[in-house]
Amino acid sequence: MAVISVSHLEKSFGTHEVLKDINLDVEQGEVVCIIGASGSGKSTMLRCINLLEKPTGGSILFNGEDIGGVAPAGYRAKVGMVFQQFNLFDNMTTLKNCMIGQMKVLKRSKAEAQQIAEDFLEKVGMRAFAEAKPKQLSGGQKQRVAIARALCMSPDVLLFDEPTSALDPEMVGEVLAVMKELAKSGLTMIVVTHEMAFARDVADRVVFMDEGYIAEQGTSQEIFGNPKNERTRQFLARVLEK
Amino acid sequence: MALPTTFFGWVGFIISEYSELLIGGLLSTLEIALLGTVIGFLIGLLVAILRTIPIEEGDSTVKKTLLRILRGILNIYIEVFRGTPMMVQAMVIYYGSLQVLGIDMSPGFAGILIVSINTGAYMAEIIRGGIISIDAGQKEAAYSIGMTHWQSMVHVILPQAIRNILPSVGNELIVNIKDSSVLNVIGVSELYFMAKSAAGTYLKYFETYFIIAVIYLILTYATSRLLALIERRMDGPANYVIHGSQSSSKAAIVVKGGE
Repeated sequence: MAVISVSHLEKSFGTHEVLKDINLDVEQGEVVCIIGASGSGKSTMLRCINLLEKPTGGSILFNGEDIGGVAPAGYRAKVGMVFQQFNLFDNMTTLKNCMIGQMKVLKRSKAEAQQIAEDFLEKVGMRAFAEAKPKQLSGGQKQRVAIARALCMSPDVLLFDEPTSALDPEMVGEVLAVMKELAKSGLTMIVVTHEMAFARDVADRVVFMDEGYIAEQGTSQEIFGNPKNERTRQFLARVLEK
Repeated sequence: MALPTTFFGWVGFIISEYSELLIGGLLSTLEIALLGTVIGFLIGLLVAILRTIPIEEGDSTVKKTLLRILRGILNIYIEVFRGTPMMVQAMVIYYGSLQVLGIDMSPGFAGILIVSINTGAYMAEIIRGGIISIDAGQKEAAYSIGMTHWQSMVHVILPQAIRNILPSVGNELIVNIKDSSVLNVIGVSELYFMAKSAAGTYLKYFETYFIIAVIYLILTYATSRLLALIERRMDGPANYVIHGSQSSSKAAIVVKGGE
């Protein structure tokens, strides 16, 4: 059974239809990369999956259960999100950022939360910066902490919304390296990205979105090696040319 | 006993003659301003949180109606208490509660009550401004790790909002130290009221009000310095320590944080 099953998902902002008919199943342990031009609805789809946007049509099943009927907070605790703009809590240290959700949402003890937080900070190479505040960190460091914060919640699925788009070029690599490690560890990931090399090397499946639809999907060899859809070909030609 | 002949002679005379009165007035002014600001802040916090509860499409009609009525009442409260002078509010509340409700408040209690309600109306807007100034991403991040609206407010939004509005809150305290003087109209024994009594005996108005002008200035200046100190404390140290290094786990490197 798919962990996340999206069917006939629609989302409009006023009269502007962003998502028209999205159908997507994500299996346990799968790494799915979503690619496509700006404005094609990639981020909106991801935000709908996390209920940060309320879908205007269709349904999303999480482990077979329709999330339209459940309390958003309890569901979101199981589906982590990494944002383009990091969104670390500015009033907390790195360590506290990783502990607060564990303590307040998962009701873990302080000692347990700290142990888990330190382990994941170690994993993303930020253990030494436990006492630093977000404003004292670089973009790449912030994003690695944000990934650790999401991992601390032991999520079933981790969503990445263009995690490297706000980073200076020399910091992209450090974040992608962490994400590659996670992909290898078997975590279920849905990644909206403009990093074609990452999608090609890491994704089990690549999804190409165009104007509110999924235009084409397949393994990375299929999409990058032999795209069938005309729009996919045009998009790839445009971005790979650079 | 010979009376003084110079300005500063009179100033010294009035201070020594009426020291008890003036100190009593000063303490009363401080009490009203501090309690009024603290209670007003709490009122403002409550009002701001209630006014920022989102009304969503999916909510039931009852919930939507209740929220709209609540917002209406809070708006009226803010408009009325920001839109009338505190001196007039003091008269209306003090004499009105006696005449209409039969409640005979002591002037001191009435003073704190009036300053609190008045400050609450301003604080509600200051705090709401603080809340909406926090980047929406902070709230989304809090939601994304499973926090409820209430948890995200308490742990993420309000601590940042309150830090940002601290200068405005300090302003309110300073305004209250000065404006509590209007409470003399209902006979609150604050500093201005005491000075009025002291000035009348020897008909030395300039000298007496000069003294309390200096006292007010000292109070407000000390307050603003104290608030600056609190702000710096809240920001925490600009430096942080990196623990461990590749060669020695006990090594600690202090990093100067950039602002």
